[in-house]
Amino acid sequence: MQAEAAIIITELSKSYHESGLRHDIFKELNLSVNRGEFIVLLGRSGSGKSTFLNLISGIDCPDKGKIIINNTNITGLSEHDRTLFRRHHIGFVFQSYNLIPTLTVAENLLLPLELIRRITQKERDNVTELLAKLNLADRLDSYPDRLSGGEQQRVAIARALIHDPDVILADEPTGNLDLDTGQQVLELLDILVRKAGKTMIMVTHSQEVIGKADRVFSIKNKSLVIS
Amino acid sequence: MSTILNKSSLNFLLQHPWQLALAIVGIALGVAVVISIDLAMESSLTAFDQAGKAFSGTATHRIIASEGGLDEKLYTQLRVGQGIKKLSPVVSGYVQLAKQTNNSFKLIGIDPFIEKSFKPVWQQEQSKNQRAALLARLVVEPNTVLISDKTARSLHLKINDEFTIVSDSGKQDLKIIGFLQANNAISEQVLAKLIITDIATAQEVLGLFGRLSSIEVLMDNYEPETLTKILKLLPGSALFVSVDSQSQSMREMTRAFSINLKALGLLSLLVGMFLIYNTMTFLVMQRRRLIGCLRSIGITRRQIFKLIIGEAFLLAIIGTLIGIALGIALGQSLLYMVSETINAIYFRVDATSLIIRPAQIGKGVFLGIAATLVAVLPPAWEATRFPPATVLIRSGLESSTRQLVSGAKLTGFILIAGGLALALSSAQSVSWGLAGIFIIVFGFALLTPAFTLGLVQMTDKLFGRFLGIAGRLPVRTISSEISRTGIAVAALMIAVSATIGMELMIGSLRQTVTEWVQASLAADLYVTLPGEKIIGGRAIEEHQLKKRLADLPDVQMLSSALHTKLIANDEFTKVSVFELNPQSRKGFIFKDKVNDDLWDRFEQQQTVMVTEPYAYYHAIRIGQEILLQTDKGKQPFEVIAVYADYSGDQGHLSMSRQNYQRYWPDLGYSGIGVYARKHTDLKQLENQLYKLLTGQQSVKSDKDIYKASMEVFEQTFTVTETLRWLSAAVAFVGVLSTLMALQFERTRQLGILRAIGLTRRQLTFLVIGETGLMGLIAGLFAIPVGYVVAYVLIFVVYERSFGWTMAFHFDPMVVYQGLALAFIAAVLAGIFPALKMARIKPAEALRIE
Repeated sequence: MQAEAAIIITELSKSYHESGLRHDIFKELNLSVNRGEFIVLLGRSGSGKSTFLNLISGIDCPDKGKIIINNTNITGLSEHDRTLFRRHHIGFVFQSYNLIPTLTVAENLLLPLELIRRITQKERDNVTELLAKLNLADRLDSYPDRLSGGEQQRVAIARALIHDPDVILADEPTGNLDLDTGQQVLELLDILVRKAGKTMIMVTHSQEVIGKADRVFSIKNKSLVIS
Repeated sequence: MSTILNKSSLNFLLQHPWQLALAIVGIALGVAVVISIDLAMESSLTAFDQAGKAFSGTATHRIIASEGGLDEKLYTQLRVGQGIKKLSPVVSGYVQLAKQTNNSFKLIGIDPFIEKSFKPVWQQEQSKNQRAALLARLVVEPNTVLISDKTARSLHLKINDEFTIVSDSGKQDLKIIGFLQANNAISEQVLAKLIITDIATAQEVLGLFGRLSSIEVLMDNYEPETLTKILKLLPGSALFVSVDSQSQSMREMTRAFSINLKALGLLSLLVGMFLIYNTMTFLVMQRRRLIGCLRSIGITRRQIFKLIIGEAFLLAIIGTLIGIALGIALGQSLLYMVSETINAIYFRVDATSLIIRPAQIGKGVFLGIAATLVAVLPPAWEATRFPPATVLIRSGLESSTRQLVSGAKLTGFILIAGGLALALSSAQSVSWGLAGIFIIVFGFALLTPAFTLGLVQMTDKLFGRFLGIAGRLPVRTISSEISRTGIAVAALMIAVSATIGMELMIGSLRQTVTEWVQASLAADLYVTLPGEKIIGGRAIEEHQLKKRLADLPDVQMLSSALHTKLIANDEFTKVSVFELNPQSRKGFIFKDKVNDDLWDRFEQQQTVMVTEPYAYYHAIRIGQEILLQTDKGKQPFEVIAVYADYSGDQGHLSMSRQNYQRYWPDLGYSGIGVYARKHTDLKQLENQLYKLLTGQQSVKSDKDIYKASMEVFEQTFTVTETLRWLSAAVAFVGVLSTLMALQFERTRQLGILRAIGLTRRQLTFLVIGETGLMGLIAGLFAIPVGYVVAYVLIFVVYERSFGWTMAFHFDPMVVYQGLALAFIAAVLAGIFPALKMARIKPAEALRIE
């Protein structure tokens, strides 16, 4: 039986304009990602990896092409509907963590849930449990800038997963961390994402991660090529 | 300073056009308000001085008299009898154009053949022959006049055209025989409101037969002989004064008013300084990484300091120049309001356009640049403290700010106590009273960040409970960015507290004046008898009129008043001469307990009552005596009561007609109060009265007078209201600037929120929620501060400025309005940054470091 596609990308093109000239980032990319699959994306700086993730998450729009996630063509949605889609179906892990500095660790985790529905006590307990799993039980009420980089990234991963999204997008999640801490973060992703059967696309340069990926692609010469 | 470094600084500023523009707007508005008040006030007073010079020219002294003027025989006696040549008789008064009754002119009657050394403005630009010919015609041809060519053009009149004017004595046709030509902008303005004629025509038009308004005297040096001759012939009702001292005393009269206006201007500048401080802090903080980098490559602290100060200096120059241009435009609008207020409560001024002097512009330039540099010193100092190549985390900066907040709180309390002590203990000084208010308000401004932190900590839980985590975000942002939100809230709080304070003060005064006017208006109808009060025919006619009024069957009784001037303690003093009845006596609101025999003493003994401002300015108490100049020498009058009067701030005396007639000539009446019998149809009675009146005489009901009085009251506060709104506008720009800066700095954070699923609408509400909350905090804090400001204004500043006391009237509506003003201003200020942030694409926002 053929695996069900979680993400289907067809003829995706994106460009930017500078000094009146158009520069293509990539042209007519095609990709199909199966449910539960782990894709790694490689490429040189400025090749458009982050832009590619932004397009899949719907926080940026392509010039051309389609992105279908769970049978929803997000490129055909309005900006508002794309936001609501993202809210429910996408979890994003950024290189620089991007936690909300004015919210505590617990509040950072609860915010995505609150945007979807009224938070239940069970969900609050889940947050506490999740943080305990991440060895952050004692940082529940801390503000992000009191946490180390590794701790912040662990919180960011927890935030990306808390609302049980179908797709996780991770943009160089270990890029700002030392080797050991990076290692711990990757292990965490492996446990929480892969073993939970989530679909994940990760931009990374880590050889170890590349080894664990189902498929590895690179953006070269504005195209997506299998590495 | 390195050119590249300067270029980097300039590029940074240009990359933040909104902050740049708002900082410039802040400086410009602050400078504009200060400049405009100065220009409007000075132009009004200069117009008054110059109008005097138009006919007095180089005169050094002046003989002036009270109501009714001087007998023209005095001039003849001095010139012919005593041989004093350098004299110039003047008859002057105000007339209106028959076709434009709101367009009034000063009609000046002069002797065309006076000593040339007087050099009055109206003569300066005429050629010798032309002047001689025109002057001869003025004397020979009746009702001929000279007006300025500018005025003639605006009225579409040519030489030999006739126009009709209206004076208190009726209508009169005048013929233009020549134009007055100005030699500069100031004299052009002065001449534009003058009509020059000869003495005889002026006397006829103004109904001052045989009288002179003044005699101008020119004494090149100290001339004791001339002085002796003049003083020997001076009647009891006249004073010999120096022109300069008279002009000075007129300016002195408006000093309190001027100080109060200037304080309002400085309030705008103070709010503007908060704005500049905030903007410059933002511009410095945003560059902390850049400054750290610059320090790591060898740029010294001094160079960083100079860089920031240099930027501020550039902004100050641009803002100040724009502010001066704006100030001139605004000054022109304020000029009308200021002149009208001076007209209403002090003396007549005819200022039509601004008189701009380099010194005033220089003052504006100095204030703009100095205020900006003072405001930028703290952030410039902070910039030098950034360690080389270190990225400072915001929380680190904010935690040091929180320490500052505690320090500011303590300083705030000390300033409030010091300000109150200064205001209450500075004797009669208006300036110190206002300085006290400034210190108090500044003290409260320093408390604002602590108050804000306290309040947001309380609302955090509340918002969290009802609005969830997203609802906590605005609260947390205010708290975490307290170094800037605190300043924005403080700026808004200052403006709103000033609004609340002044509104409470005006409301209290309005209430007091309303009660006073209502109590004073005891009669049913009032007959007004305008015109210069002179001995003879007109006074006799007025007595006859009073008799006829008393004979009307519906009239139960009458009261009367004559408003004149007498020389009290060697200066002209307004005196109201009353014939009172039991009903009208109830209209007096006494400031101290009075004895039962008060009215008997008022009528029968040599006594006076004084108004509260008079008692305040002259430090007069009940039981003391005032010396009044009479033809029989100085006579003592005992003060038997002090009563409330809000008709002006110079104060006056009241005496019974019986007392007055003992020493001074009969000048008729200024007004007669008519008390109708019970059940009389007042409208019918009014018609009957009208039939008995002539010319400019009129009848008004108590309601009409009440309405007109309250209109004058409201009009005197127009300029204050305008300035208050201007300082609120500066605060609004301050809040807008801060919010823009805050939101721009949070672009990435807002991008994250969008990335995790916050919609544009939610983001908009988030930002507006934050600004609205800041507005509410500012409004809440402004209430007690406004209350304190009102208290000091009522019991310190206004009492010292105008000699009035009033009861504190608390109107809760003022508080609600202040709260609403703060909230609405903050929400409005939040809309633009909110929409702008909502429009930014999350992907772009996430790229911003």
